Amino acid sequence: MGRIYAFLDDRLNLEPLVRAIADHPVPDHANPLKTPKALMYCFGGIAFMLILLQIVTGMFLMLYYVPSPDHAYASVTYIQDEVMFGSLVRAVHRVGASAAIVMVFLHMMRVYFTGAYKKPRELNWIAGIFLLVIVIGFGFSGYLLPWDQKAYWATTVGINLVATVPLVGDFLANVLRGGSEVGALTLVRFFVIHVMFLPALLLVFLAAHFFMIRRQGISQPL
Amino acid sequence: MTATIAETTTSRRNFLANGIKAIAGFFILALGIPLTGFTISSALKKDKHDWIEAAELGDLSDDKPTRITYHYRRKDGWMTTESRKTAFVVKEGNDAYTVFASRCTHLGCGLDWDATTNQFKCPCHGGVFDAHGNVVEGPPPRPLVKLGCKIEGRKLFVMEA
Ligand code: HEM
Ligand code: FES
Repeated sequence: MGRIYAFLDDRLNLEPLVRAIADHPVPDHANPLKTPKALMYCFGGIAFMLILLQIVTGMFLMLYYVPSPDHAYASVTYIQDEVMFGSLVRAVHRVGASAAIVMVFLHMMRVYFTGAYKKPRELNWIAGIFLLVIVIGFGFSGYLLPWDQKAYWATTVGINLVATVPLVGDFLANVLRGGSEVGALTLVRFFVIHVMFLPALLLVFLAAHFFMIRRQGISQPL
Repeated sequence: MTATIAETTTSRRNFLANGIKAIAGFFILALGIPLTGFTISSALKKDKHDWIEAAELGDLSDDKPTRITYHYRRKDGWMTTESRKTAFVVKEGNDAYTVFASRCTHLGCGLDWDATTNQFKCPCHGGVFDAHGNVVEGPPPRPLVKLGCKIEGRKLFVMEA
């Protein structure tokens, strides 16, 4: 490890980059080793770790999952019952999804109750709102994918909720479904939203979020 | 020269860095092992082979290889599919048959029987086999693959190799 790093550093002069990214003091009020209750300043980082875990387990689930009404349920059953560690990988992705949403929410609470959203961090709060919506979108779109009764009816209900939006509700609901009923087109849409559109959006907003954090530094204690 | 304190003791910085590495290592293993098993699992599964009814003896030619097509159901991941394959049956004597998979042993193309030269010819890279499955010329490294076969009640059954 050390030698590989030395080799690369020798040629690419990585040291300044690494220092800029990793070598910055965490103030005492945000350092759980100094102030135990500063653990709440880790919530964002924990959420990020969970999101990385979701990305990794999700990539592997895609090795077997098929987003078609004919095969979705059978392919999930196959993962669950026949693939080695399949039930574990699936459980991690499922529990991780809930945990990620919980951590994002707790992180938002931390930001709110420490007043960290105030000037100059309003834009990061707004980026955060986008992240919240994206993470919930992951949950909603992923829930349909096993194509079992719970998935089907949860999505039917969720989309009917969208249909209650004044004026454009019905139109939005039809766009989400890809038609007037939850069916094959809905499943493919939700799958592609889950594995392509939302990850792309997530990366953009995470990059903005982290960039702003590094530019502004962590907020002062109350 | 005596070593200074900085050289002999682990600094707080190093200690924490090692801690992070240990935790990262733990996570990489805890994820890497299951995910590796997950990925290779379907490749480790052995296909189950059964006898497949492939032809009526009366339909087989006495003096040249007969191309037969047989169908069987195969478990393909989460589905069961109907597979269709071809093979060549060569009559070696009274009720003695050899069944060759019609797959070239070079890179797997389908073979044709050339009645003018009495040879199996591969359309891909010029592999040629004789009626007993031996390589005559071209790149194939091995004779043709033989399928298991048996006769029951005037019917020929084969088993995938
Ligand atoms: C994908 C979800 C999210 C991730 C991975 C994430 C990650 C992070 C991280 C690692 C920090 C550094 C400080 C800390 O961890 O507390 C941070 C700070 C911040 N986050 Fe998030 N965040 C997410 C969602 C949100 C949401 C939903 C909001 C609010 C609507 C938000 C608003 C903020 C603000 C304002 C800061 C600056 C806090 C300060 O300077 O004290 N973030 N975020
Ligand atoms: S595959 Fe038959 S000669 Fe190459």
